[in-house]
Amino acid sequence: MATVVGDTSGDTGEGEAVPVARTASVAVRTPRPRGTGPELASMPLVVRRREEEETVVTFPALVWKEFLAGLAMFIFLLGVSIQVNAPLLQRANTAITPNPAKAPWYFLGLQELLERFPPVMAGVAFPSFVIIFMLLTPYLDRNPSRRPQDRKVAIGLFTIYLCLAVSFVVIGVFFRGLAFNWDWTRILGHPGITPPV
Amino acid sequence: MSSKPTEGNPLRAFASQIWGSIFRHGLPTTDKVAARTALTNFFLHVHPVRVKKSAIRVSYTLCLGGLSFFLFILLTISGLFLMFYYIPSVDQAYQNIKDLQFVATFGLVIRNLHRWAAHGMVITVWLHMARVFYQGAYKPPREFNWAIGTFLLLITLLLSFSGYLLPWDQLAVWAITVGTNMAKYAPIAGPYTRYLLLGGRNVGQGALIRFYVLHVVALPLIGFILMVIHFWRVRKDGFTGGL
Repeated sequence: MATVVGDTSGDTGEGEAVPVARTASVAVRTPRPRGTGPELASMPLVVRRREEEETVVTFPALVWKEFLAGLAMFIFLLGVSIQVNAPLLQRANTAITPNPAKAPWYFLGLQELLERFPPVMAGVAFPSFVIIFMLLTPYLDRNPSRRPQDRKVAIGLFTIYLCLAVSFVVIGVFFRGLAFNWDWTRILGHPGITPPV
Repeated sequence: MSSKPTEGNPLRAFASQIWGSIFRHGLPTTDKVAARTALTNFFLHVHPVRVKKSAIRVSYTLCLGGLSFFLFILLTISGLFLMFYYIPSVDQAYQNIKDLQFVATFGLVIRNLHRWAAHGMVITVWLHMARVFYQGAYKPPREFNWAIGTFLLLITLLLSFSGYLLPWDQLAVWAITVGTNMAKYAPIAGPYTRYLLLGGRNVGQGALIRFYVLHVVALPLIGFILMVIHFWRVRKDGFTGGL
């Protein structure tokens, strides 16, 4: 559909698309999403493109993508679920401690820290610090630019954090054996499953 | 719905009335119809009517937020099915899981699906956070939505963690023992927090029922409310896009 872009003063990057052919004869108001008008465009520190950007109607453009992504994920998970069974060990017995006893994989980074630092540091101070720092990130980062080349420090720090977090989890899952000691031999194994020595 | 003459066939007219009463507009043949459809449909109304083309490029969003929400829905549905078979009692829980695996029709696949989708959701939420950070999408005016997202990540971890105990096997009990031992180290509040969480000094019946209620009611409810706010603010603050 041929469109002209109106309301260029609004610099929201989402100009109202008005059908050319009908503006003269019929009053057509193409709805614009509320809250994306000029009132928000004047927010401080926001870098917005001055030129108008092309917009699309979310239905079907976005809905279609969401549907396909969901379908692909569902098929993938169904395939995995048919092939790989969720682990189920013996009935719980509090008298028998498995060795090593591991937390769920996403907490193995914390367990790894507990091996290296005093418990108050690893179990409380570090995670609290990470959560509080995450919450404060948008308020501490005063750099208005969103372009990667302007944000080398932020991206560098975050990448270091991601690498540390991922490597600690990988170490915990794959390279920690009996008594949570280093184990290079039994790389494949689920937390808690220890083949007989 | 286009108003084609249906007077000739009363059955068609009736069907047309039913269809038109549910769906106010037809298929998106033009942008205008598509916009009206999006506006008048409850489910589609989650989205804004128009977005910048660059904001919904798959190479930009990687679909991670949407996939996280999809996995949440998938987990809710598969979890409901599991709840029909599961009794949160230390005497019965393990046998219920065995029955799910070997007796209930499709029980094994649905339990597997629930398990792997849970791991998947931890991963997608985490990657979504990384994606948003790398694109600086947390910057004003979206500071608070980033904070809500942080809480959603924590809720996701807690949901997965609370579900870990429910099969009541060795893996479950000891992972929760190790996990809750970490809480113990907090000065002053630590031991109390652990006692409150477990409903006792060890992982037993008290812990099982608490984790069950947290897992199936409290945490999904909190997560859902946070998600609603999260999505609403994405709409109100506008999509980012166009780096």
